[in-house]
Amino acid sequence: MDCGAAMGKIEAKADGLLPREAEAELAGHLAGCPACAAEDAAISATGPVLRALTGIRAMEKAPALDAMWTRVRAGIEESRAARRRPSWIARWAWIPAAVALAVLALLFYPAGTDRSPFHPSTFDVAVEDVESEVATVALVDKGEDLPRVIWIIEDAKT
Amino acid sequence: MPRPDPRGRAGAPAISFLVLLLLTLLAAVPSEAADTVSVDVGAVYASNEGTSIDPALGTIRGKLHSMFNYTSYRMLDRKRRTLSVGEAGEFELPGRRTMRATPLPAQGDKVRLSIQISDGPRKLLTTTLGLRRGGMVLVGGPSHQAGVLILIISAE
Repeated sequence: MDCGAAMGKIEAKADGLLPREAEAELAGHLAGCPACAAEDAAISATGPVLRALTGIRAMEKAPALDAMWTRVRAGIEESRAARRRPSWIARWAWIPAAVALAVLALLFYPAGTDRSPFHPSTFDVAVEDVESEVATVALVDKGEDLPRVIWIIEDAKT
Repeated sequence: MPRPDPRGRAGAPAISFLVLLLLTLLAAVPSEAADTVSVDVGAVYASNEGTSIDPALGTIRGKLHSMFNYTSYRMLDRKRRTLSVGEAGEFELPGRRTMRATPLPAQGDKVRLSIQISDGPRKLLTTTLGLRRGGMVLVGGPSHQAGVLILIISAE
């Protein structure tokens, strides 16, 4: 392994990407090459320093991040509440609909035609007078349980 | 302390408004007072063509069957008019016949009806009936197609 290939492996090792089988080969090269060994030591020390630095920066920024998240959460809650709260139009839109329904019901309730079946409560009928200019009329009474019938006999047809 | 629901506060006047509107409309609709009569006329075609009885005839179906010798009863038309005393109501009947009903003054729950059935210029029947509200009378006999017409006249 030459020093160029060793540098690539050193960087891969620092990134944690060096395969296990290549580590032994790199270790062999580092044992015989003080320059590469020094580079490896320097790069290996850089990682923890960078991690520590990132941690410190994160701690410094934590209050600002917390404040930002608080604002974001408040914004989300506000938009949800606005969606739940109906607009003025939506809140009152049912009134004209209900009024239209009531008017329609009232208009059609006392309709001129009624298709409900006949359910008479009584057959007690008094025929005060009955006459016909062109037919014979018979009054048929078959008892209280049956309706009285006025039968028109036209020209002896029925 | 719990805060009152703003939606509930908004709905209360709306419901009150709707109730008031309904009451106003109900008051505007003419009610069936004692001086008005609702006259219901059903025209039934009775014949011996088939054996069907129209379910629209309700409880009167069996009675028609026991009173007349026809095998088929079919309701051709039905009309209802609410008439004041002295007001004549015209009912068109099958076969270009017409029936004129006029409520006459009556007492209590009684209804008096002047009925006139015409076939063009011919007056088939002129009668005056006295019946209770909810009562019924049948007028039959005018020929129609292969059978006869039976008019079911009721008043409420």
